[in-house]
Amino acid sequence: MIEAENLTRTFGSLTAVNNLNLHIDKGEVFGFLGPNGAGKTTTIRMLACLIAPTRGTATVAGYNIQKDPLKVRQSVGILTENPSLYERLSAYENMDFFAQAYGVTDLVERRKRIQELLEFFHLWERRNDKVAGFSKGMKQKLAIVRATVHRPPVMFLDEPTAGLDPQSAKEIRDMMAELSVHEKCTILLSTHHLEDAEKLCNRVLIMNKGSVLLVGSPDELRQKTNEKPMVEIALKQVSSKILKTLDGVMAAEGVKQQENRLLISVKDTATATPEIVRSIVAADGDVLAVNALKPSLEEAYLKLIKGGEKQ
Amino acid sequence: MNMSKAWLVFKKDWTEIKRNWQVLLPIIIVPIIFSVVLPAIVLGISGTPIEDSQSGDFDTLIGILPLDVQAQLSNFNPNQIMVYIMVLYFFAPFFLIIPVMASSVLGSDSFAGERERKTIEALLATPLSDSELFMGKVLVSFIPAMLVTFVSFGIYTVLVDVMTYSMFNGILLLPNLNFLIIILGVAPVLALCSIGLTVMISAKVKGFKEAQQISVLLLIPVLGLVFGQISGLLVLGPLVLALLIGLFAVIDVVVFYLGVKVFQREEILSKPA
Repeated sequence: MIEAENLTRTFGSLTAVNNLNLHIDKGEVFGFLGPNGAGKTTTIRMLACLIAPTRGTATVAGYNIQKDPLKVRQSVGILTENPSLYERLSAYENMDFFAQAYGVTDLVERRKRIQELLEFFHLWERRNDKVAGFSKGMKQKLAIVRATVHRPPVMFLDEPTAGLDPQSAKEIRDMMAELSVHEKCTILLSTHHLEDAEKLCNRVLIMNKGSVLLVGSPDELRQKTNEKPMVEIALKQVSSKILKTLDGVMAAEGVKQQENRLLISVKDTATATPEIVRSIVAADGDVLAVNALKPSLEEAYLKLIKGGEKQ
Repeated sequence: MNMSKAWLVFKKDWTEIKRNWQVLLPIIIVPIIFSVVLPAIVLGISGTPIEDSQSGDFDTLIGILPLDVQAQLSNFNPNQIMVYIMVLYFFAPFFLIIPVMASSVLGSDSFAGERERKTIEALLATPLSDSELFMGKVLVSFIPAMLVTFVSFGIYTVLVDVMTYSMFNGILLLPNLNFLIIILGVAPVLALCSIGLTVMISAKVKGFKEAQQISVLLLIPVLGLVFGQISGLLVLGPLVLALLIGLFAVIDVVVFYLGVKVFQREEILSKPA
């Protein structure tokens, strides 16, 4: 659905994006991660035909960004860094304008679609209010409505949950999941929120200073930390008998005690956890809770970015 | 280019402008001053008798008026001469200031204002073509500017005719040929020139106020016409007006050619807001 080949953009002597190669499948939620200035927004702008690449090319929804920019824009829904809404217009007037600009000319269809989306985000009751009076979260939701109003096959979302309360962020994540699963919409999600990437993305791309550092699934990214997963077990009391028993359990590669909690390094939480819990129970341990811990995605991300900067 | 898409941009911008007093106030107040306040003052004092020596102030201007007009003026008393000259000649260039001022204010808001309010990126991301966007923005500057000009002239005509009806023994001074050429011929080409230049200025500056401040400079040549006529250096007669229409039409073509070139998505986005 999105293909990029050696996509490069320079601004004077600065290379904002350097030889980006990309393949994103239909219905995939693809995460774009990287610090400020990594080149994420420039990439989105090139793919959305807002700026031209200096070198290389790309196709979006089957259309070449250099040869068919209008068709690319027609096929894309975009959430920019700013909500980019007309504050003197009402929520409905904003959506009505953009729906028509994107070619939704049938009045009945347009009304139905706008109502459906505004109701999803609980904004229908405020449809006649001017956007100037909306909160940041409401504006962000409205900007997402704008991006989806013409049912685009491809969406570019730049920081969709930035600055939102947890409830609003969840609504937006739910919306993205719905679009990906049910409407087979391909979503390119640029974010600093690793939680969003972890919950939504099939694959992520990490870039820094215009270059790609890694493309892979969130799990593959975690493996880059070289840290092992852990099983966290809360006990009523940690006895020496339990610790001695765990020494003999092959699956437990390392044990750390933190008061009445044990943090046990394992190779694979799925296979190791039952064996470890059985051993603790056999050693008269009263297990209160068991939690499988994966290495933090944030840690992996930071490690990669730091490594990339050293190079 | 799909005109319905350009019209869509016009409707959106016009709805916004109607709710923006920062833009509406200057395009309402200035025309009121030119079409109501100043003429009312002049016509109000026209009842005060003028000495023959005072009417000599208009001699330079009268000297360059067409001979038939000079012959007509020779039959008027000093008060009638003053009113005739003021109403039909001094105030005429003001109706060129109105479209220039209105179109530059509207144009600045529409182009630079959109970038300043950070709404431009979403607009440029739509499948509207550059020419549709450009035409929509031109229409929202041109149509209201001309509307304001026409309405101002209508009010001015009624005011002048009502207040001078008895003084000129039932003769209606307006509309006359000069004014019709100014309103229907010169004002539109001048407004288009102003819009084209405002587009180019807007593409190079950061925001609405900066664009407006620079585009106010466009009034200088128009003020030149005002003072040229007041000082008797030139008369905005049919020939001069026809030359002005031709001149501005040529400038319009050049300015629009350059304006369309400047109105490029990347160029607009690359300017910091």
